[in-house]
Amino acid sequence: MKIFQVALGILAAIGGFVDIGDLVFNSAAGATFGYQLLWVVVIGVIGIIVYSEMCGRIAAISKKAVFDAVRERVGFTAGLITLIAAQVVNLMTLAAEVGGVAICLRLLSGLPYRWLILLAIFALGVVVWVTSFEWIERIFGYGGLCLLVFAVAAIKLEPDWGDVAHGLVPHLETKDTLLYFYFAVGLLGAAMTPYEVYFYSSGGVEEEWTEKDIGLNRANAIIGYGLGGFLSFALMIVGGALFLPQGIEPETLGSIALGAQIPLGETGLVLALVGILLAVGGASIDTLFAGAYNFAQFFGWEWGRYRSAAGAPRFTLGWMVLLVLALGIVITGVDPVQLTEYAVIFSVVALPLTYLPILLVANDRAYMGSYVNGRLANVLGGVYLVVIVVISLTAIPLMILTNVGQG
Amino acid sequence: MSEELDIGLGVLDHQLLDSDGRRCGNVDDLAIEGEPSEEAEVVAILSGPGVWRERAGLLGRIAAWIGGGRRVRIPWNEVAGIESHVRLKKKASHYGLGRGDERARPWIAWFPGSDR
Repeated sequence: MKIFQVALGILAAIGGFVDIGDLVFNSAAGATFGYQLLWVVVIGVIGIIVYSEMCGRIAAISKKAVFDAVRERVGFTAGLITLIAAQVVNLMTLAAEVGGVAICLRLLSGLPYRWLILLAIFALGVVVWVTSFEWIERIFGYGGLCLLVFAVAAIKLEPDWGDVAHGLVPHLETKDTLLYFYFAVGLLGAAMTPYEVYFYSSGGVEEEWTEKDIGLNRANAIIGYGLGGFLSFALMIVGGALFLPQGIEPETLGSIALGAQIPLGETGLVLALVGILLAVGGASIDTLFAGAYNFAQFFGWEWGRYRSAAGAPRFTLGWMVLLVLALGIVITGVDPVQLTEYAVIFSVVALPLTYLPILLVANDRAYMGSYVNGRLANVLGGVYLVVIVVISLTAIPLMILTNVGQG
Repeated sequence: MSEELDIGLGVLDHQLLDSDGRRCGNVDDLAIEGEPSEEAEVVAILSGPGVWRERAGLLGRIAAWIGGGRRVRIPWNEVAGIESHVRLKKKASHYGLGRGDERARPWIAWFPGSDR
C-alpha cells in the first residue's frame, strides 16, 4: 500500500466529508441542544464508514458502482423509483451547495448575491471541464481543511469537557423530544448522505481499483470519514459553547462562520469562510458528478471523468444539465440553508433503497468471491439498515411536526 | 454461450460492453423461447428504452417516451462472455447500440477541449 496515496486520500476525505448539510445541522444542533447530540455524529460516521468501505470493496472486486448494483439487485421498477428519488435529492443538494458557494463569495467580496450565483456556476463548470480529478480533490479537499479552524475555535472556547464527553452517551435532557429526534435524524442524514457513496464508489471504478486497493479503501473510509466526523464534532461544540449561551441561531452560513470569528478574530473568520467555500464547492462537484454517474449507470451509458468529455457524451451532457437546473433553482432566491434542511431530510427517505443493494451485492459470492462481507461488516450493515429504515419512516413526519426544526 | 445460469441475477439489468469495452446499454429484457414441456432457452438480449415500457408500468412508459422508444435485439450467440458485465462480440454500432452517445457527441464536441 502506498502510504503517500493513503495520506492524500485521507486528507481529501476529511475536507470532502463536511458539506453544507453537515455545517447546517451540526451548528444548529449545537446551538439548540449543546453537546447532547454528539453521540449521533458517532453513529452517523460509523454508518458512512461501514457502507463506504463496502462500496469501495464492491468497486474494486466487481467493478460496479452503486447504481449498477441498485439496477441489478432491486430491478428496473424499484431501481427507477430510487433513481428519481436520488436525483431529486441530489439536485436539491447541488442547488443548496451552489447557493452556499455564492453566499461565501458574497461574504468575502461584498458583491451582489445573484451575480455571484452566476459566477459560482460558471466557475464550477470551468473547474470540472479543465481540471483533473486529482487536482479537484487536492484543491477542494485540502482547501476544506481550513475548516480545522473550528476545532481550534472549539478548544479556545474552553467548553466543559465533562459535558462534551457526556454528549457521547445517548441521553435526553429536553422537553422538546420531537425537535431532539428531528435533529438526530438530520445529523444521521447529513453524515450518511447518499451522494457520498455514489461518488465514492464511482471514483473507485474510475481509478480502476483492484483487490490490491482493498487496504487503501479501508484506510480512506475509516480514517478519512472518522476525521471528517471530528470536524462535525468541532462545529457542534462551537454551537454548544458559543451560540447556545448567547441565544444565537446559526441560520446563515455567515453566522456559522461567526463561530470562528468570535474566539479567533478576523483570521478565524477568513479561514472559516475559505474553508466553507472550498468544502461546499468540493461538495458541489461531488454532487454534480454523483448525479451524472447515477443516470449513466442506471441506463448503461458510457461514463467517467477519466474519459474525454466527448468520449462519454451523455455523461457529460448529464452534469451540464444538472448544473443548469441547479442554477434555475438557486437563482429564484431560495434560501440555501433551508433548501439544505429539506434536501437532507428527503435524502433520508431515499437511504434504504440506496444502501440495501450495496449490502446485497457485498454478500454475493458470485460478484465478490472471497471478498464478501465478513461477520462484522454484516452485523454493522444489518443494524444500520434497520436504523436507516426507521429514520426514513420518521423523517418527514418529524419535519412536519417540528416545522422544519423551528419547534 | 450455452451454460446454465440464473438469468434473473446473472444477466438481467446488467451492463453491456462492446468488443472495445465501451458501455453501450443494459440487458433490459431477455427473449426466451421454448414450449411449456421443454427447457426454456434464452435466444436474444433486448435493450433500449422501448423495452422499459413493458417493465415499469406508467413510469416505464414515461421513461421510454423520454428515451425515444428504440429497442435493440441482440442474438444470444453474439454474447462473448458473462462476468460482472455482459460482453458482446462486436462493436456497439454493429448492433445499433450507443446511438444516444452518437447523437450527444456533436453537442459536446462544440466546447473547446472536449476531446482531452
